[in-house]
Amino acid sequence: MSELTKKIAIQYQGIAKAFDTPVLSGIDLSVNSGEMFALFGPSGTGKSVLLKTTLSLIVPDRGDVLINGESVYFGNPDTLNTVRDIIGYVFQYAALFDSLSVAENVEMGLSERAIKEMGLEAVQERIWESLDLVNLDPGEVWGKFPAELSGGMKKRVGIARAIAGRPEILLWDEPTTGLDPVNTAAIERLIKQLSEELHVTSLLVTHDVEGGLEMCDRVAMLEGGKLRFCGSPEGFRNSEDAVVKAFTDRRAANAALDILDIR
Amino acid sequence: MKFSFARGPSLALAQKVNLLAEHAGQIGLLFFDLSLASIRLRVSSKAIFRQVYLIGIQSVPIVLLAAGLVGIVTSQQGGYQMQSSLPVYIMGSIVVESVILEMGPVLTAIVMIGRVGARITAELGTMKVSEQIDALYSVGRDPVEVLAAPRVLAMMISMPLLVALANMVGILTGMVSAQYTLGLGAERFFYGARLFWHSYDMFYSLLKAFFFGIAIPLIAVHMGLRTRGGAEGVGRTTTESVVLMILTILVIDAMFPPLFLQ
Repeated sequence: MSELTKKIAIQYQGIAKAFDTPVLSGIDLSVNSGEMFALFGPSGTGKSVLLKTTLSLIVPDRGDVLINGESVYFGNPDTLNTVRDIIGYVFQYAALFDSLSVAENVEMGLSERAIKEMGLEAVQERIWESLDLVNLDPGEVWGKFPAELSGGMKKRVGIARAIAGRPEILLWDEPTTGLDPVNTAAIERLIKQLSEELHVTSLLVTHDVEGGLEMCDRVAMLEGGKLRFCGSPEGFRNSEDAVVKAFTDRRAANAALDILDIR
Repeated sequence: MKFSFARGPSLALAQKVNLLAEHAGQIGLLFFDLSLASIRLRVSSKAIFRQVYLIGIQSVPIVLLAAGLVGIVTSQQGGYQMQSSLPVYIMGSIVVESVILEMGPVLTAIVMIGRVGARITAELGTMKVSEQIDALYSVGRDPVEVLAAPRVLAMMISMPLLVALANMVGILTGMVSAQYTLGLGAERFFYGARLFWHSYDMFYSLLKAFFFGIAIPLIAVHMGLRTRGGAEGVGRTTTESVVLMILTILVIDAMFPPLFLQ
């Protein structure tokens, strides 16, 4: 394996997926190790679908995903288990298990093998640490059920579950959707803080363009199932592409409605 | 126009057959995965016991109530139709054979479809549309091992026990009802019951219960995991699941006499 390949944590190769209509039409994208990468795009353009192909939650019609150089779809059958061990996934609406308490939800983020190796005491310590890292009071929320938590707290528990296994890569699927501006800012600060403290590679799908541009090392934009932009935040801000501009400028957004034929 | 008229119904029929084959194939694969998980001891015994409590023990009151009413109705209707033409002790045989061979297992299955099958589909369907199933996969857990297998195994254990209880209560209420409405005492009731009794009958009843205990949760889990489209999708899939479970139970019930009573 070359030095260059080692540096790439996630590599999407020609990912194509159609449901009733084509959603992704051959996406090639790489995220470097240790990088924070944001993915923007209009609703329904396949950002979450692309994210889900990483863990085979949605299987692409064509293409492959490489994690640390290992093929998810055409490699060793055990690769997927390994990949799921080293990737934490934060779902849009947290996707907490309703019948489990907060502590049990976070424990689910640890693999069965890890639970056996660590032992009960170390597992409980890890759950406590993970809740603490997402700025929740473990003593207060430990035995509570998801129905007893606010939207912001649910998101934090979802993040605690994703980081419980101390992953190398974190995938964030619109983590600030449905939150008020204060909670949005708090979650964004948490994303940056966790990415730095845990030294993880982060791929963030978000509609909050300003937040993404501030936090991330590189950004990309999907539109019409294709990659419309990939580069630095500065490059995104200064892009002359009308559709890209629409994401940073309200007036340009109105002009883009005609270009994208949105009524 | 003529061509499309001829093509329309046949296309619709082909689509239905295709859908049925898709369901059958997916249920077959689910059964294979469940068997594999059970053989490999990948199913938590704690989860199975919890489901036995939720599915089996908590269903006892409603199952017994339904069985008790069935015994009373069978006894009274049988008595009304036959008391002038047949010896009254024949009622013992009519009640016992009706309850054990047919009413006990089938009615218990229908009650369990409403109480447990619909619940499993709605629960797993909600988990599917709220991404909880995806979350399980993302943390390296298999929903078949964690969610499906404990429910199916618990139902396979619970169903024969519930049917055995339902049979006993149905016979008991039928006997008491015959005593009050026809003046048929317990001794003559059981004399009549023994006249047409085969030692195989109880096994036949429990075998039916066992097959129903596999079919109901298997369909419920399969439909739950196929759910799409939010709250409306959960409602639609749950309805489809209940219809499919009832039809399947009736088909299995219809297959039993030619397979096991000839």
